[in-house]
Amino acid sequence: MNHVVKRHGHTQPYDERKLYASVFASLNAVRVPVEEAELVANQVCKELGSWLGNKHEVTSGDIHRKASRILSAINPDAGYIYKTHRSIS
Amino acid sequence: MSRAAPYDYDLISIGSGTGGSVGANYASKLGKKVAIVEQENVLGGECPNWACVPTKALLHSADIYETVNNASFYGINPGKISINYKKIKAWKDLVVSRTGTSHAEETFAKDGIDVLRGHAHFIDPHTISIDGKRYRSRKFLIASGTKNFIPPVEGLEESGYITFREAIDLQKIPKSIFIIGGGPIGCEFAQLFSSFGSKAHLIEVAPRLLGHEEPESADLIKAVFLKRKVDVVTNGKIYSIEKKGKKKSIKYSDGKTAHHIEVDEVLVASGKRPNVDFGLENAGVKYDKHGIKTNRFMQTSAKHIWAAGDVVGPYQFTHTAAYQSRLAGHNMFARKSACQAAYYNCIPRTVFTSPEVASVGTTEEEVRKHGGKPKIGMAPVSILGRANTSNQTTGLVKVVCSHKGVILGASIVAPRAGEMIHELALAVRFGHSAKEIANMIHAFPTWSEAVKVACAKVQ
Repeated sequence: MNHVVKRHGHTQPYDERKLYASVFASLNAVRVPVEEAELVANQVCKELGSWLGNKHEVTSGDIHRKASRILSAINPDAGYIYKTHRSIS
Repeated sequence: MSRAAPYDYDLISIGSGTGGSVGANYASKLGKKVAIVEQENVLGGECPNWACVPTKALLHSADIYETVNNASFYGINPGKISINYKKIKAWKDLVVSRTGTSHAEETFAKDGIDVLRGHAHFIDPHTISIDGKRYRSRKFLIASGTKNFIPPVEGLEESGYITFREAIDLQKIPKSIFIIGGGPIGCEFAQLFSSFGSKAHLIEVAPRLLGHEEPESADLIKAVFLKRKVDVVTNGKIYSIEKKGKKKSIKYSDGKTAHHIEVDEVLVASGKRPNVDFGLENAGVKYDKHGIKTNRFMQTSAKHIWAAGDVVGPYQFTHTAAYQSRLAGHNMFARKSACQAAYYNCIPRTVFTSPEVASVGTTEEEVRKHGGKPKIGMAPVSILGRANTSNQTTGLVKVVCSHKGVILGASIVAPRAGEMIHELALAVRFGHSAKEIANMIHAFPTWSEAVKVACAKVQ
């Protein structure tokens, strides 16, 4: 089981649904059709899951950076939205 | 464990290879509490387990096989000789076992160093997580090494390939092998497999083999390989690889003509990339595609974290890793005024082909690129008494000097080039002139006489 260390130090199990939702929202924001957005979000989750592998603990920053790189390689605009959204929020 | 908890260690070294263990031992001898993290099943890193040591053991067998094969010329009739590759592999395993990696854990324990098994990941600048357990350390030494770079060739993944890690443990010699990459690793395996009778194909994307060496050395090794019936392709491009039954079908070009061959095995030796997947961002350690960035004292962008070995570069040698790791171990606990900087101008480099290729310092091309006007001295080994008595006439020594005749670099192709280079490394390190080396008495008949002759010819 992969765990995520959050910004303030507490830990929670990795939840792929959260990643999927945020990636999907970024794709949606740049008007990627829903079906394509679903496919891309799934791909990002799959690649990130593969990177997580047997890493027991990673930080939320790690997940954000990695997902951002994966998404940017597929859709640079959505990647930009995903990357910058967190620093604004 | 909370963030305010005290440190578990004074130093945690990530990686138990030379880059990690030398610094860890140094710190331990200073009385520091030290741990080493290793994610592989065996300790000791790449060199003793999969790289330098096993390949040199296999090359030694290959050399003996070739020597015995040619023995009749020298009046010795060895009878019918054959290869028992299982025994060759057993010899290689014996050599690896003698390095002590199998009982390294006890050795570390004796030295007061804890071994932590698993993948380390930085959670914050002073904390790593290994399989969910957290460890805090005052300082870190990152020596995580490299991973193989697998080129994006169509069909390569699907058809399967080996790297040097698998190549040292093959159960039998492939009848034919396609080696991707004409650097030191590719050349050594071309040497090995061709010695044992494989049809070796060596492809390099650059215009010449051993791209960091002098063109004279690279051209000579290419000629040696061609004489050994190794199919050498430079300016090569691989179009596709496809599995056909037990064979692999490869389409490639030599820059002019398209070719199509079928081989038993594909070996990828196209370089390495640094292992930097440790949450380095969480620790404030800067890195790029070439590796972790350090200053001359081996300190990273995070002041309490040092790095050494292949993950840093600029050379990926065990002796460079040892040098950097010792410096890191010293500097991290020394007063600022006592810190020692790393210098790379006299790092010897050796490729264990036959003849060997060795070099140190700068090349003629590099000097010219920086606007210098180098003086050059060259000597073929064929003029030596030793070449006559050994019946080995292939090789050369090239010395690169400043306009004042101070030795800046040298390259050697000769049967004992890896040993010979150290005389010239010493000269580079201490700024000796070619004239001084030429005036030294060199024993007759030795390969080193070529160094003297090359230095005498500098102009």
